[in-house]
This record gives sequence, C-alpha cells and structure tokens, in this order.
Amino acid sequence: MGIYFPPISLGFGKSNMANRNPIDYRDKIFKTMTFAAAMMVLVLIAGIFFSLVKQAVPAISKFGFFRFISTATWDPVHEVFGAAASLYGTIVTTVLAMSIAIPVSIGIAIFMTELCPNFLKSAMGTAIELLAAIPSIIYGMWGLFTLAPIMGDTVEPFLQQTIGRVPYLGSLFSGTPLGIDILTASTILSIMIIPFMASIARDTFNLTPQVLRESAYGIGATRWEVIRNVVIPYSRKGVLGGIVIAMGRALGETMAVAFVLGNKHEIAHSLLDASATITVTLANEFTEADSDIYMASLFYLAVILFVMSFLTLAAAKFLLKEKIES
Amino acid sequence: MKLKNIFLSLVFIATSLSLTAGDMINGAGATFPYPVYSAWAFNYYRATGVKLNYQSIGSGGGVRQIKNRTVDFGASDAPVKPADLKKMNLIQFPAIIGGVVPVVNIRGMKPGQLKLDGETLSKILLGEISKWNDPRIAVINKGVSLPDANITVVHRSDGSGTTAIFTSYLATVSKDWSEKVGKGKSVNWPVGIGGKGNEGVANYAKRVKNSIGYVEFAYAKQNKLTYVKLRNKNGYFVDPSFGAFKDAAAGAKWNPDKGYYLWLVDVPGDGSWPIAGASFILLGTEKLAANRKVVKFFDWSFNTGDATAKKLTYVPLPKSLKDSIRRYWKRNGIY
Amino acid sequence: MNTLTKRKIQNKVALSLSVLAAAIGLFWLFFILWDVFRHGLSFITPDLFTKDPVPPGFEGGGLRNAFVGQMLITLVAMVIGIPIGVLGGTFLSEYGRHSKLGRFISTLSDIMVSVPSIVIGTFVYAIMVKPIGHFNGWAGGVALAIIMIPVVIRTTEDMMSLVPWSLREAAFALGAPYYKVITQVVYRGAATGIFTGILLSIARVAGETAPLLFTSFNNSFFTTNLNDSTPSLTVTIFQYAMGPYDDWHGMAWAAALVITVAILFITIAGRLLIKWRYRS
Repeated sequence: MGIYFPPISLGFGKSNMANRNPIDYRDKIFKTMTFAAAMMVLVLIAGIFFSLVKQAVPAISKFGFFRFISTATWDPVHEVFGAAASLYGTIVTTVLAMSIAIPVSIGIAIFMTELCPNFLKSAMGTAIELLAAIPSIIYGMWGLFTLAPIMGDTVEPFLQQTIGRVPYLGSLFSGTPLGIDILTASTILSIMIIPFMASIARDTFNLTPQVLRESAYGIGATRWEVIRNVVIPYSRKGVLGGIVIAMGRALGETMAVAFVLGNKHEIAHSLLDASATITVTLANEFTEADSDIYMASLFYLAVILFVMSFLTLAAAKFLLKEKIES
Repeated sequence: MKLKNIFLSLVFIATSLSLTAGDMINGAGATFPYPVYSAWAFNYYRATGVKLNYQSIGSGGGVRQIKNRTVDFGASDAPVKPADLKKMNLIQFPAIIGGVVPVVNIRGMKPGQLKLDGETLSKILLGEISKWNDPRIAVINKGVSLPDANITVVHRSDGSGTTAIFTSYLATVSKDWSEKVGKGKSVNWPVGIGGKGNEGVANYAKRVKNSIGYVEFAYAKQNKLTYVKLRNKNGYFVDPSFGAFKDAAAGAKWNPDKGYYLWLVDVPGDGSWPIAGASFILLGTEKLAANRKVVKFFDWSFNTGDATAKKLTYVPLPKSLKDSIRRYWKRNGIY
Repeated sequence: MNTLTKRKIQNKVALSLSVLAAAIGLFWLFFILWDVFRHGLSFITPDLFTKDPVPPGFEGGGLRNAFVGQMLITLVAMVIGIPIGVLGGTFLSEYGRHSKLGRFISTLSDIMVSVPSIVIGTFVYAIMVKPIGHFNGWAGGVALAIIMIPVVIRTTEDMMSLVPWSLREAAFALGAPYYKVITQVVYRGAATGIFTGILLSIARVAGETAPLLFTSFNNSFFTTNLNDSTPSLTVTIFQYAMGPYDDWHGMAWAAALVITVAILFITIAGRLLIKWRYRS
C-alpha cells in the first residue's frame, strides 16, 4: 500500500492541526460522513412522524383522539370523519390473515428443519424467498382476477352451506358471496406474510442445540414430541418475534388488499362484507380529498398507522433481541 | 473501484436524462370525461406535438389538485359553486356533455331491457329493495324474467362528479334519498361496495353477479355493460343515447358570470335522459401562461373534436355555448 | 402399548400436517407464477416496449413510457439510497459499533424496514409535492430511496461485521488510518455481500406501488423530465387492472410478468452470489 496523501486545502488556516496531520483530518471527514448517513435514519423517522402530525393538526384538534378512533362515520359530505371503520378493517384483516398464516408457516418451518431431505432444503428455501420477493401489487392483481372469482363462486358458497349453518358462528358468513370482501383480502394477505414468518421460524428452529434434540430422542421421544416439547419451547420467543414482524407487515400492506376489499367505510359483521383498511383508504382517497379537514383526517389516519406499525415492530425487535441475548 | 464507477455512471445518466425537458400540460380530475379527453389529447399530440397528460383521479381530486395548484387544470363533473370559485380564485367552463347510466349485471338481461323509475332506483340503492324479483321492480317490468337473487350495489369509493350528478338526480326524484343520504361528490352509501373511478365501478359491475352500478355512458358502451331504461320527468321510458343526452342539454341556460354553474338532472322533455351533466374545466385565475396552453388545447378540441366525442357518445357543446366560452376566456385574458 | 400406538399416530398426523403446510406454500407460489405467465405471455410483444399507451378504444399501443419512467425513478432512488445506506451501515459496524447511539440507530433501521410504504408516500407528498406545487418523478425516487436506505444499512452492517477483526488489525499495524482500513480492507472483504444487499434492496423497491401513488403519480405520455409527473410500471398496473377494459387487463398482466421476472431474477442472482461468496 503506497501511502501518499495529496495535500488538501479546504480554506483552513495553515496553523490548523488538521493540515499538519492530514491522515487524522481525512478520517474525521469520513467518520462524519458515515455518522451523518446513519443519523438519516433517526432524522427520517422523526421527520415522518412530525410532518405527518403537523399535517394532521386540524383533524386532531377537531376530532380529538378517542372520538376519532371510536367514530365509525366517514362522511366527506358533512365533514365528519372517524377512524373506527378503517381501524376495524385493518385489525380484522390482519388478525384473520395471521390465523391462517401462523399454522401454515410453522408447518413449513417444521418441514424445512426436521423433515426435509437435505437436497430439497435449499430449493425450498429459495422458493419461500421468491414468494416473499413477489411485489404486493402482483398479489393484489392476482387476487382480483383469479382468487376473487374462486372465492365468490366456490369457496364462500361452500362455507355458507357448511359453517354458515352453525348457530352464532354462521353469522360470520352471512351475506352475498362476491369474492370482494374481508375473507378474500385476508387470504391474500396471509399468502403474502407466510414466507416472512416461515423463514424466521425456520431460522429460530435451527438455533435449537442439536444436543437437546438428541437427548430427547435418546429417551425415546417421537419426532413430533421432540418438536413439540423441545424445539418449539426453545424457540418460542423467536417464533413470537417472527409472528409480530409479520403482523407489522400485514398492518401496513396496501396493494395486496386494495383490489379486493371493496372500500366500504362500515364496521362489517360478516367476513363476506366489504370493508376498508387504513392503507386502502389512503391509497384511494389521498389524491382526491377536496376539503382541508378531509385531507387532515387522512394524514391523521397515516399517523395512527405509523404509530401502530412502529410499536408492533419495536415489540418484535424486543422479543427477538431477548431471545438472542438469553 | 468498480462499484464507484458504476455508481458515477448512474449519476451521470440520471442527470443527463432529466435535463431533456418536454412540453407538457398536466391535468387531473373527473373520470367521467376521461375517454374523450384522452382521445382528444392523443389527437392533439399527433397534430401539434404538445403532450396533455390527463389523469382520471375523480372530480374531488380534480378540485383538490387545482386548488393546491399541483396541476395546470382540474376537471370536475360537479360544477363548483360561484362563491367557491371566487374563494379558490378559479375560473370554470364546461367542456363536454354526457350522461350517467345505471348498469346491471343479470344473466340473460339485454341492454335496455330492464326498466326503472327514480323512486324504485333510489329504493334499490337505499337497500330497501334487496332482491331482483321484488314486486316493486316486477310491476314495471312485465314479461321480463327477474332472478331471485340479492342485489349488490356498486358505487364510487372516491370523490366523484359522476356520483354528484347521480345523487343529485336521486335527491330530486326521491324525498327519502334526499333526507337519508343527500347529494355530493362522495356520500355515505347505505349499502354496497365501492370501486375507484368510473373505471373501477365498471370493472366491479362486470365481475360481480346481480349487481347494479352507475357509470358514464362511454364506459357502459366500451365495456358492453347492460344499461337500464329510465323514466324521465315527462313519464317516458328512454334509452340512454346521444339524442337523449342532447335533448337533456337542449334547454340549458348557461351563464358565464356564474362560472356556467348548472345541473342537467331530471329536466323536462319527452326524449330527455334524466341523468345528464356537463363536465367542467377549472383553471387557476393567476396562472396566465399555463392557462393559455390549456385553453389552446380546448379551443383546438372544440374546433376539431366533435366527431371524436360523438363516436364515444358524448354530446359536444353547442356552437353558441362554445362562442360564449371563447368570450369568457378572452375576458379572463387567456385567449 | 396403547399409548405407544397413540403417540405414533400423533406423530404421523402432525408430521403429515407440516408436509401439507409446505405443499400449500409451494402451491401458492406456483399458482401465482403460472397465472402471471399464462395471462401475461401473449401480451409480451415488441410494441409493449417500444410504443406509448393509446386512449381506451384505440388499437395498439404499449407501455414504453412506464418502463422508462420506472427505470428513471429507480435510478434516482439508487443514487440517493445506496451511498447513504452503505455509509450508514459503515458507521454502525465500525465507528459506532460499541456506542449506545449506534445500537439505537441499528434497532431503529430494523423497524424502519417495515414502516408501511404508503405512509412514506404521504410523508414525501407533504415534503416534496405540496411545497413544489406539482407531482414529480423526483419525489417518487426519494420515496423509494427512503424505503431502500434501511435495507442497505442492515445488510452493509451485517456483511462488514463478518469481516474478521484480525484483518483490520493487520492494516492498522501498517499505520493505515481507520478510513483507509475501511475503504481498502473492510469494503473489499465485504464487497460481494454489500453488493447483494444493494441488489435485494433494488428488487424490493422496484415492485413498490403505494409510495408512488401520490409522489411520481402517473403520466400517459413518454417523459424523461423528472420534474413532470412520471409514469411507473407498478402504478400503471394498478390503474389498468382496476380499469374495465380488456386490453388494459392484458397489458397489466404483461407488465406484471416483466416486473415479476425481473425481480425474481435479481433475487436469485443475489442468493447465488451470497452462496458462492460464503460457501463455507
């Protein structure tokens, strides 16, 4: 390494320490640059939060917090806005998607760590990664053109004929099956988050020490018993962290649900009803909000979504970190 | 360092590309006239080389974007009230006339076969009539086979002038509607699912069985949707057509001093279609240079675009109205 | 004996269920890919790449404007996002690795990876579209860059931490200052990893739609001037798939096919690269 440093002059005085020791000076510049770049993360997060809050101020002062999140009316004509319907849609689609995705992705993780023959392992891994890489708009579009007709024509009428007849539970499947509803949206959402959850679960399963497994096998446990009583308890926190990360994804997903949710600002009682999420409301109405309070209310929704997903992911980070440290 | 070289060439490409500026007019708003504006813009580009980028985001968006001056012109099917024009410092003129038609998706039903009147239509949209074989629909449709199926209403999810025209018709013909829902660019729909833009409603109406929606006629025609006959003020059932829209607009009294503020719903006349409307252009009064470019486009389209409009079943403005608009432009110093 | 049979049955059932779950996962992947190929392939024509869109009702046309616009927006995102991401990651793995602030920022950037992209769209609208006065391609690029930064930071930090300390110490011993050590030793050691991280971040943003809806907006004409609203493939897919026209649907499928193939290609390339580099 030929160490040659061309003299640099940035207009500082000759007596400056830096000029006498250019090595030190350049290191400082580089360090400052990297520091500034890292600080961008902080600046951006704070910037996003404060600028959204600033834009939302008219709505915050008009509707308050509890009134805003508990009002289900979204009425641009009379300028009454409440987040309850969108919030409800966001939570219901997320919870439903999670309840489909959790068992499937844990199953995938078990298959990949405990059952899969070695030559298949990397192929499976690639496939799951590809599923995660497909853009959400493709999921959404595919949902509208392919999944919605299947749901509306076959799956939903079947559910109505079967579960729909069970008292109480049946009311969840009342209404006309259109395929453009909460159930279809949640299904697409679950397909989207399965790869995230499965790969995190796989990684944490892999962390289980081989010794533990082998000693369980040694006392005659079946494979399933090893998984249930050794692997899963050992990696519980990691899996939980993965679930929460995936939940954060589901909360903030826009395009996969925008096509098939039907944009209805109402608290739906049936899974076959149309609904709206915060993200879909933003995507559809952001460029078209015509009054200032309407616009501010949309920014208010954005603030709520941001805080929700931030807290969720912070919780996930916390869970995963504890796992690694313990 | 190879990475550095790649990176530097990326910077170079990005900067060099962004320096090649073009001549572009930006407009946004109503989806109702999108087919005709985009056709006009396409022809205008071929003839003059000037690009007019019109994005159909809904009339609510059109008003919003011109109010914030994020576009050169906004478009709205719901005329802005003269007082609001003054407040937002806008000028407004109509550019095209068309009709909103209810469309249904019922297996075996042919366009124009199903007949409805204002009262029944509003009851369907209020959710009071929820099945197609309801006696209140059957009584005006003797001999038409109506399925025993639930009706799904498809409405707009965005701020829409088409909705404004449609709901102002419903509010005119039904007292119930006017009390329970009212009229406006976006209303609180009692039932149904929402599609984005005329495009979205047409798409949902096409895919969802036993549905009813409402779109500008060009969308119904281009997508072969099943439109409905409506009873007009004089008591006749009419098909939506060029002639029926023209009749609806025939008696209109346009007033430039009010920014041509006018609705064309439920107008008298034996052949008039009851849900017609004009689509309006909004300009920021102070943006003279940009406005001249926009006005040049509409002047060109008024001169040469009538045939294109007719082909899409829009009604071009009558000559007297075009002349009045040109005088209005001159008065505002942009023509 | 009875409990043993029961346990064996339990074992079989549970394991079969997990095989089933894996099959379901693969099934979706192939179902979606097959559908995209099936619908999109017939609309892949030279016109798609060389012609601009025509209004509904006219024959022909393509999506040249959206392809070029998408590339320009992504380019802007790369020019902004890559240097900030790589430098930021450098700070976290080198200068700031033991500081509280460093670890705090590292955690924050992990969280930022999953901030809903539509929220970033609304943020950029507030800082770049509203003040400037019109939709513009730059805003779209900035929005994508913001999504890209934490992804690049994370992989850069991870990959640089993998470079053994002994290498750095050897360079220090020769009297090299820290920045020389980083640029000439650590970067060299971690280059493949960082490059892969950059590739994956490009794959991630190339498919984003939500942050572009209110920033770069859309344009039905060809433009290379990013001061105008700029078309992108993803927003075009949204508009066309939501629209009622059959030829719009066809073009949306074709665009979906192109974007999916491109992203899958980048992802696989990145994965192979990592495998080849870190074989051990």
